[in-house]
Amino acid sequence: MKRISISAKLLLMVAVLALISNTLYGSEKITVMNPAIANPGVDRVALTERLKSLDGKTLYLVDINWGGPDAAYGVFEEMKIWFNENMPKVNVIVKRKTGSYMADDKDLWKEIGEKGNAAVIGVSG
Amino acid sequence: MMRYAVEYNYTNVTGMPIRFIGVPFPVAGQPREVHRRYVRGNDMLTGKPMMPAIVEHLTKPLTKDEKYSGPAPAPTPEPRFLPPDTEDNLHRLFKDKDWTDYNPIILPTEERVKAMLEGTSHSPDKVVKVIDWPGGKREFTVEKVAICAVMVGAKPEYMPLILAVATQVPFGNSTSSMANMILVNGPIRDELGMNYKGNAMGPHNDVNSVVGRSLTIMSKTAGNIHHNVTTFSTLGSNLQYNNLCIAENEEALPEGWVPYHVKNNFKPNDSTASFGTGWTYISSVGEMQKAYPSHFLMRDYMRSLAAIGGGTVIMDPTVAELLKADYNMNTKDDLSKYLADNVEKTVDSFFGNGVAATMFLPMARQGIPPYADYLKLDGNTLIKPLNARSINIVVVGGGIQTTWFVTDFGLGRPVSIDAWR
Repeated sequence: MKRISISAKLLLMVAVLALISNTLYGSEKITVMNPAIANPGVDRVALTERLKSLDGKTLYLVDINWGGPDAAYGVFEEMKIWFNENMPKVNVIVKRKTGSYMADDKDLWKEIGEKGNAAVIGVSG
Repeated sequence: MMRYAVEYNYTNVTGMPIRFIGVPFPVAGQPREVHRRYVRGNDMLTGKPMMPAIVEHLTKPLTKDEKYSGPAPAPTPEPRFLPPDTEDNLHRLFKDKDWTDYNPIILPTEERVKAMLEGTSHSPDKVVKVIDWPGGKREFTVEKVAICAVMVGAKPEYMPLILAVATQVPFGNSTSSMANMILVNGPIRDELGMNYKGNAMGPHNDVNSVVGRSLTIMSKTAGNIHHNVTTFSTLGSNLQYNNLCIAENEEALPEGWVPYHVKNNFKPNDSTASFGTGWTYISSVGEMQKAYPSHFLMRDYMRSLAAIGGGTVIMDPTVAELLKADYNMNTKDDLSKYLADNVEKTVDSFFGNGVAATMFLPMARQGIPPYADYLKLDGNTLIKPLNARSINIVVVGGGIQTTWFVTDFGLGRPVSIDAWR
């Protein structure tokens, strides 16, 4: 009977020490709320079918004016030079869109739709 | 040359699975040789040669995913509660997730959030704002705002103000190292105990500090603003720690000068928060001198800050009193008009600013006045680029010294705080 009593006391001491240890050293687990929000995404729109080859096709390179009309235009001119040197059968047209990078340019999109086969738009930032 | 905007997957942010390449940065202001090197170099995303990568994007057959039209796939869930863990590990998690400003936070237990929600009559699931940047419509609810309010150490009574602030999440952010401003008007200032007198712009008041910080924490958690993932400010801004959170010293306004919210058609007893973006401010550095009074120096300094056509002058009440008594500035509008009429800079200097070049030079080339008119002038011609309606005057401070700041912060229309009580 006495032995059981001592064991019980020891167990109690261990439990108390574990509790103190948890409290002192922060090992007790707590639950907190999540500040993040799930992103439901955007309804998808398929990409336009790709061209089999750019040969003989018209490719528009469109500068969106980010950083000003002269900021990235040189990048597109250099791209045109690369096409001339490496893929001369591609008809490359470099254009600045109208307005700032945030403005829509329906006329240009219409022109590309009617006269172009592909477009590269940038440089964003 | 740096990796810019390549850590975030932009593929479906607009709903279309765009194919894109990563151009090295910086682009603007670089010589043609640098542009040539970029084009002849590698795509920053894949490491492949850039031009072949572009050709591949234009010609490689579409994948099944790229052909899909319809609802977006189910989102990765964000459970209401995080998995149980120790406080130390949770603090580490919040930092690992970049949900903090790297100052200590209060962990948002359910009990704390519930107590915070007592500060508003609105239901926890009410949507404060639908955040659609950078893609996807995320519903920012009152409960999520309360979680952030706990994190920054707010008291429940701050909730109506923090909910008004939440309507602006995520805050203005740009590679140009933009900052934000919060201006509080109306009775809420005294109800909460904001400091709008001496040291109002310093770290000396719980409400000014905590509410200012809340815009940053909400922008990082709900707003998804993360370094090198969705924000690429080249210098960043120390102002983003507190977002210039101030309240106007309405009681110290000279007769005829009205508080910002009243000037914007709110009643004096309405409580409002107004928000602005900008970059910087310049101080008078000392007292007003009769030989060259404040509005002269404000004019001089605003020449440096005139890129976006407006700004906000923050002044001690003593400056306002002197401007009215000695220089006939009988209303805030009188000072705004003086500055618009007298701040001049050259055409080249105006368009020499990157933000003005980005926003206004394309408009000038499009023929839109007044920017198109500027382009017709010699580059050294002086123009008056400020608009009086865009120059705001705010009175803050303790009447200790005739000190003021001119800033390039634009301020928008006030948002009601009372609507969030």
